Amino acid sequence: MSGEARQRPRVGVVKLASCDGCQLTLLDLEDQLLPITERFELIEFPEATSLRSDGPYDVLLVEGSVSTPEQAEEIVQLRARTRLLVTIGACATAGGVQALRNWADEPSWRAAVYPTPDYISSLATSTPVSEHVQVDAELRGCPIDPGQLLELLTALQIGRRPQLAGESVCLECKRRGNVCVLVAGGKPCLGPLTQTGCGAICPAYGRACYACFGPREQANVDSLHKWLAADRPLIQVDSLFAGFNAWSPPFRAPAERAMRAFHAPEDADA
Amino acid sequence: MVIELEPSTSYLPRADLDRLLTLLQQDGRTVIGPIARDGAIVYDEVRSASDLPAGWTDEQAPGRYRLMPTDSPRLFNFTVGPQGWKRFTQPPRVPLSTARRQGSAVSFEAEVPQPPRLAFLGVRACEIAALLVQDRALAAGPYVDDDYRARRANALVVAVQCVRAGPTCFCTSMGTGPEVTSGYDLVLTELEDGFTVSAGSQEGGRLLDLLRPERATEEHRAGAAVGVAACRAQMGDQAGVAAEGLAERLMDRLDDPRWIDVADRCLACANCTMVCPTCFCTSVGAVSDLDGATTVNERRWDSCFNGDFAKVAGGNFRPRREDRYRQWLTHKFATWHQQFGTSGCVGCGRCITWCPVAIDVREELAAIAPPYEEARPRPTIGAGLTELPMVSIPPSVLSPAAKRSVVTVATIASVSTETADTFTLRLEPADEALLAAQPGQFVMVEQPGFSPVPISVSRVAAGHLWLTVRAAGPATKALVSLQPAAQVGLRGPLGRGWPMDRLLDRDVVVVAGGIGLAPLRPVVDALLRQPDRFGARLLAYGARTPTDQLYVAELGAWRRAGMEVGEIVDRAGPEWLGQVGVVTQLLDRRDWRGQQAVALICGPERMMQATVSTLRTAGISRRRIFVSLERHMDCGIGICGHCQMGAFFVCRDGPVFSVAELGDLFGREGI
Repeated sequence: MSGEARQRPRVGVVKLASCDGCQLTLLDLEDQLLPITERFELIEFPEATSLRSDGPYDVLLVEGSVSTPEQAEEIVQLRARTRLLVTIGACATAGGVQALRNWADEPSWRAAVYPTPDYISSLATSTPVSEHVQVDAELRGCPIDPGQLLELLTALQIGRRPQLAGESVCLECKRRGNVCVLVAGGKPCLGPLTQTGCGAICPAYGRACYACFGPREQANVDSLHKWLAADRPLIQVDSLFAGFNAWSPPFRAPAERAMRAFHAPEDADA
Repeated sequence: MVIELEPSTSYLPRADLDRLLTLLQQDGRTVIGPIARDGAIVYDEVRSASDLPAGWTDEQAPGRYRLMPTDSPRLFNFTVGPQGWKRFTQPPRVPLSTARRQGSAVSFEAEVPQPPRLAFLGVRACEIAALLVQDRALAAGPYVDDDYRARRANALVVAVQCVRAGPTCFCTSMGTGPEVTSGYDLVLTELEDGFTVSAGSQEGGRLLDLLRPERATEEHRAGAAVGVAACRAQMGDQAGVAAEGLAERLMDRLDDPRWIDVADRCLACANCTMVCPTCFCTSVGAVSDLDGATTVNERRWDSCFNGDFAKVAGGNFRPRREDRYRQWLTHKFATWHQQFGTSGCVGCGRCITWCPVAIDVREELAAIAPPYEEARPRPTIGAGLTELPMVSIPPSVLSPAAKRSVVTVATIASVSTETADTFTLRLEPADEALLAAQPGQFVMVEQPGFSPVPISVSRVAAGHLWLTVRAAGPATKALVSLQPAAQVGLRGPLGRGWPMDRLLDRDVVVVAGGIGLAPLRPVVDALLRQPDRFGARLLAYGARTPTDQLYVAELGAWRRAGMEVGEIVDRAGPEWLGQVGVVTQLLDRRDWRGQQAVALICGPERMMQATVSTLRTAGISRRRIFVSLERHMDCGIGICGHCQMGAFFVCRDGPVFSVAELGDLFGREGI
C-alpha cells in the first residue's frame, strides 16, 4: 500500500436496530462510489463487504437505534474508537419508527410478534444514539438523502462544515416550484416543521410531508397542530407525529397522545 | 376611481390572442404565463392560448387556496397564484462563479449571465410594482446584481389589469393597483369576448403595429374601465393596510407584546418570504466535487426566517421566532422605505393566502401599529411615508467594481502568529484596487469549497494587505493554516470604514477589545504617520488575558512613537504587571474636552455599549463616537440581505457607524 493510500481516512459503517436502507444509500451513490473508495478507506460496511474491523475509525457512520442491551454497550465501545461519529437516518438520530414501543407494554408486544418471545432480548425502549454517546453530526431522513451523504463526505474531504440546512421543507418546495399541498390541497403536511434535505420529494408528487427528516430548528409544533386540528379529529393530527421521529422531543407530546389513544381507544375521546 | 384608457386603445378578440403569442415567439421569446397545474395557477411556458387556464378561477382566503371550474371563457379570471415573477428574474438557484483549486493555486471564474429571452404574459399591477421594487433593491443601488439586471432587461411585460379582487388582495392600500399605469410593454384588460389592449413602451407599440388590432369601441373601453373600477371597489369593502405613516408607527412599536403573540402562531417556515414577489434575500452555497478542486458557487433563495440567516461564529443575532417575524414585517413595511424609497409590500396578499396557519399581515399591522387616534408629533425616524430619510452612503468609499461573482486572487506572503487561535496573513493581491482599502473596510475572503468570510483589513502597506484572522470556524481555520505562496480569493475593499476626515485636528480615542484591534490598526498607522494633524491620541486596549493581545510587539513601538497606549486585561497571568479590569477603566476619570474628541470603538458588542456609555458620560457626542459592527455577511455589497440591522445593510452602509446613526437599535437584542 502506498504512503498516500495509508493516509485515507478510515471510514466505518455500522448498524444497530435498523433496516439497512440508510447504508444502502451509500451504494446508491453509484457514479461516486469509486472516487469515494479512492479517498476513504472503507474498513467496515456490512451491506458491501464481509470484512469487519475493530477500528479505530476516523469517521463512523452509525445506522439504527439503540434497541438491545448489547447495542447499548456496543455504541459506547464504538464511540471510544471513533474520531467523528455521524448518525445516519431517523433510527440513529431519533430512535426510528421502532421508538413507538417506548409508549407500549414491551413484553406484550414481544409476545404478540414473536412465536418464542423468550429468545428475544431487547430493551423496553428504542433510543437515538445521542442518548448514549456524543454525536458529532447527523444525517436525517428515512432513508437519508444521497446528496446529503455525498455533501458530508465532500465536506470531510475538504475540511469544511457540511452544508446541511436546518430550514423547513417549505423553502425547497418553493424553490422547486411545488404548489403547497397544505394550502392548495388541504393535506396535513408537516413540511413547515420538518428539516429540509430530502429535496421536497413528497410534495412534488402531491403528497403531504410526513416529517421523515424530523423536526427543524424552531419547529412550532403547537401552532401547526392547532391549525390542522381545527378541521380534523385530534387523533388524526396526533398520529401524524407518531412516525419515524416520534421520539424526537418536539414531536413527543402529540406522538404520546396518539400512542395512548391507540392503546386505550376508549379514553381517546376524553 | 375609474381610469380613462387612452383613445389609442385597441381591441383584440379572444380568438386572436394567439396572434400576439405568435408575434412574441417570432421575436425569439419564450412566453411565460399562467397555467393551471397541481391545483393552482402557476407561471410556466405558454405555447398557445389554449395553454391558458380558460374556465378556471381561484378561491383564496388566509391559509387557503382552491382552484374552481367556471363556465366563463375568460383566460385571466383569477388573481395572483403562489409564484411571483421573481422565479424568472431572480431564479431560485443561479450559478454565480466557479472556483478551482490546483495545489496551492486558486482561480475564480465569474458566470456570464445568459438570460433567456422571455415575454411575461399576464403580469398584474401589483406584480409590476413588485418588479419595480426589486429593480430598486437589486439593480438601482451602488451595487447591482448582474444576473438580475440581465434577466429583467431581457423580459417583455404584457400586463393584465385585474377586474376582480380576491379576499386577500390589498393593492389599493399600497397604491400599486389594480390599474396598470407604468412598467409594462403592453396592457390587456379582459372583457367577455376579448381584450382591450394598449402599448406602454416603444417595444409594445412596435408589437401593436404588427398585430394590427381593431380599434376599441366606446363600449369596449367602458367595459374595461368598469371592470377595473369594480375590482377597486371590491377591495374597498375588505380589510386593508393603513399605509399612511405606517413605517413610523411600526418602528415605534418594536417592543409591542403582539410580536410574541404572532410568534406563537408563526411557524418560521419562510413561506411568506418565498411567495413574496419583493423578498430578495439569498445565500451562496458551494457545490463541490469530492476534493474541492472545483466548486460552483450557487446563489439560492434564502429567508430571514431561517435559523442560519443572522448567525455568526459567535452566535445568532435573531435566535427567536419573534425576532425573525419582527425583522420581516418591519423590513417590509418600514425600513424598506429608508433603503429603497418605497414600501416593500405591493399588496398582492400572497403571504396571507400561503401562510400555512393563516397569519394575516393586515391584522398583525392593525394590532401592532394601528393608526393613531389623534394627531401626535411625528416619532423619531422621519416624517411621512415618502419622506423617511433614505440611507445614503458617500459613493466615494464604495468600490464600484465589487460584485458578488467577481473574485480576484491574492498570494500569501507571510503568516504570523498573534495568539493561540489568531494569525495575521500578509497578502499580495493581484488586483491593486484592493490596496486602496481605507481603515475600517473589509474584504470577503473566498477559498474554493468554503463559505466566504468577511475579514477586516488590518493594514495596507508597500503593495501588501494584512488580514488578522481568528480561527473560529472551518473556513477561518483553513485560512490560517495556509502557507506562504498559497492563494486565496478576495472581493473588496468593501464597506464604509472609519471617518478619517473627522479625526483631523481632534483628540482621537481608539478603544479596542480583543481582536477588535485589527480593524483599528490602520487608524493607529494613520495617526502615527501624520502626528501633527491630530490632537491627543489615546489607544485603550482591553483583552481577556495577556495572551489574547494582538500586535504585542507593536504596542510598545506605538507608545515610543508618541501615542498614549493603555492596556488592561480581564484576567492577568503571572507575568502581567499592568492593569486588570475592563477597558472602560482606562477611560474613566478622564477630563475629555467633549467638543474636541472623536472615539472609535471595536470589540464585542457588550464592550462597545459599555464604552459608549462611559464616553457619553465624559461628554463626547454620539455623533463623534463610532463603532464597527459584526453581522452575518455573505455578499458584502448589500444585495443578499443577511446583515441588515434596521434600515442598514451593515456590510455596505457600515460596518462603521456613528452611535447617533444607529439610534436605539444599538445594543437592542434580536434586531
